[in-house]
Amino acid sequence: MDLLIQIIFGLLSALVIGAAMMVVTVRNVIHAALWLIASFFGVAALYLLLEAEFIAVVQVLVYVGAISILILFAIMLTRSNEGDRLLTKYWWASALIALGLFGVAFLPTFTGTTWNMPQPTGPAGTPEVLSGVEELGRGFVSEFVLHFEIAGVLLTVALIGAIVIAFEERSRRRRVLTLAEELELRKRRQAAESVD
Amino acid sequence: MYDVINHLINTVFGLGWPSWAISLIAYLLVATILFLVAPFQMLFLTYFERRAIAQMQDRIGPNRVGPQGLFQPVADGVKMFTKEDIVPDAADKWVHLIGPCVVVAPTMFMFAVLPWGPGMVPLDMNIGLLFFFAISSVSAVGLMASGWASNNKFALLGAMRAVAQMVSYEIPAVLSLLAIVLVTGSLSIVDLIHQQAGLFISSADVPGIPDLGLGWFVFTPVGFLAFIAFFIAALAEGERTPFDIPEADSEIVAGYMTEYSGMKFGLFYLAQYVLNFLLCAITAIIFFGGWQGPGVGWLYAQAITPTNPDGNGLFNVLAGMLGVFYFLAKTYFFFFVMVWVRGAYARLRIDQLMDFGWKFLIPLTLVNVISAAIWVGLTKWGAAEGLAFVEGWAPLMRWGVAFVITLLLNIAAYIFLARVYSQAQDERARLDNEVLERLTNVA
Repeated sequence: MDLLIQIIFGLLSALVIGAAMMVVTVRNVIHAALWLIASFFGVAALYLLLEAEFIAVVQVLVYVGAISILILFAIMLTRSNEGDRLLTKYWWASALIALGLFGVAFLPTFTGTTWNMPQPTGPAGTPEVLSGVEELGRGFVSEFVLHFEIAGVLLTVALIGAIVIAFEERSRRRRVLTLAEELELRKRRQAAESVD
Repeated sequence: MYDVINHLINTVFGLGWPSWAISLIAYLLVATILFLVAPFQMLFLTYFERRAIAQMQDRIGPNRVGPQGLFQPVADGVKMFTKEDIVPDAADKWVHLIGPCVVVAPTMFMFAVLPWGPGMVPLDMNIGLLFFFAISSVSAVGLMASGWASNNKFALLGAMRAVAQMVSYEIPAVLSLLAIVLVTGSLSIVDLIHQQAGLFISSADVPGIPDLGLGWFVFTPVGFLAFIAFFIAALAEGERTPFDIPEADSEIVAGYMTEYSGMKFGLFYLAQYVLNFLLCAITAIIFFGGWQGPGVGWLYAQAITPTNPDGNGLFNVLAGMLGVFYFLAKTYFFFFVMVWVRGAYARLRIDQLMDFGWKFLIPLTLVNVISAAIWVGLTKWGAAEGLAFVEGWAPLMRWGVAFVITLLLNIAAYIFLARVYSQAQDERARLDNEVLERLTNVA
């Protein structure tokens, strides 16, 4: 059973890393976005492997269902700037810097964490729900209420900002007339001419 | 299924296989059955829709292939398979191929948590409801990919419309479900159905009256408003007629399907009908009790279940058959309503669609969430939550008070929002007229 999980974990990690590599190496921006979605899926599957069902489903709901759609919309509604692969001859320097920064963030975590955690034992042999909806909800309204409220205010501000940017005074808006309106327009013009 | 396979292999044949192998076999078997069921549902629904809409339009509909034209979908299927698969030269070949697959796959995933009858659920996840809606939002990616990859203006327009519509109508759908989740306190679809047993008054039992399986949420004010909002949102998500602007054939050919032919087009077709079936099914499950109905509860109490291991196997079959019958009858009724709406209403414009979703349905469902909170407070809470005064009331009294308060709140919210909405629409028409007058320079 452990071996099976190890194999699945390896395959999923390969998917996540491979898709992430494709995101930064393919030339077409849309293809990059689609690879990013594949990578999100892999991460959701990894959460499932950790028995964090709720987080996995929310990962799919938020990242695949909403954020990737936002990215695709943004790409399609803006000018397409497909160019050459931006691989200069100093790529090794940037790779080195990236690796160094990653190491700075990764090494303390790697050395400072006890990895050999004992298996959590639930009552009467039932597997403990690691991050169920109830635990998360209780956390949000008790321990992490400030973070929760701040995130809520931030999102509301973003929402109001979006409305302000998109709002166009109706009397000032320009729009393409529909066929019926064109007809109406012509009728009114003719009526005005016949009066003159 | 796991128990049956385990019994068969390890007890009857005595092979002693490990549990993961049995799990694998059991789930593969279930998946195979579901993969067979889904296309048959689609075949039946296309035939049903064509016949029903033909009756409404005073036509006959397909009646030549087989008795009453029953094999027409099979003939259509053969036609789809044998058609040439055309990929436009300017299309992005790979994304063009992947698009329809990404649209179909989520609809198949959604079957994984759909309960068909008592004890007949492929996988009882404790977040089943959320899984259902999370997975359904994935197909938007496929629509977008196929619309873009076709390299066709109509396809891209259709994909944009489809995705904008799906993303906006997901909000009222999920908000109306949130009200139900508040009432039940669980995200598991199986739990949801079990809580709809009993009488019309769902949260209070009357002693001496047997379980009729009629405690459907639609009989409460909260559930009724949620049902109306959810069904409208389901029409939009399934791209059914008043909201079928993504594939409005008089405006943008066939939307994102324009450049598809043969079986790839067939996949879109399959995805759409399977999604419609699933939306009707989930409506029946959440608001109309799924397989709950008179008799099922009694039959299932006699059957072999984890809580009652020495029951009679015959009752499993009987309860299953009656449950599936109730479930499918409700589902097909809702599909009939969808066809009915298609026969009765004209298509909306995109701005009407967005206005209706954002300015009417979302506020209404938000009010409904508050009603649901009041409902839970009055029927379930007590002194521990700070509502000591309700503890002395009888369950029926608590239920009645909650019913009246939520009913009044929901009706008031509906009247207020409907008035504001119709005023906004009138104002909009007036302003449109003003713009037109300014453009023509005539009054």
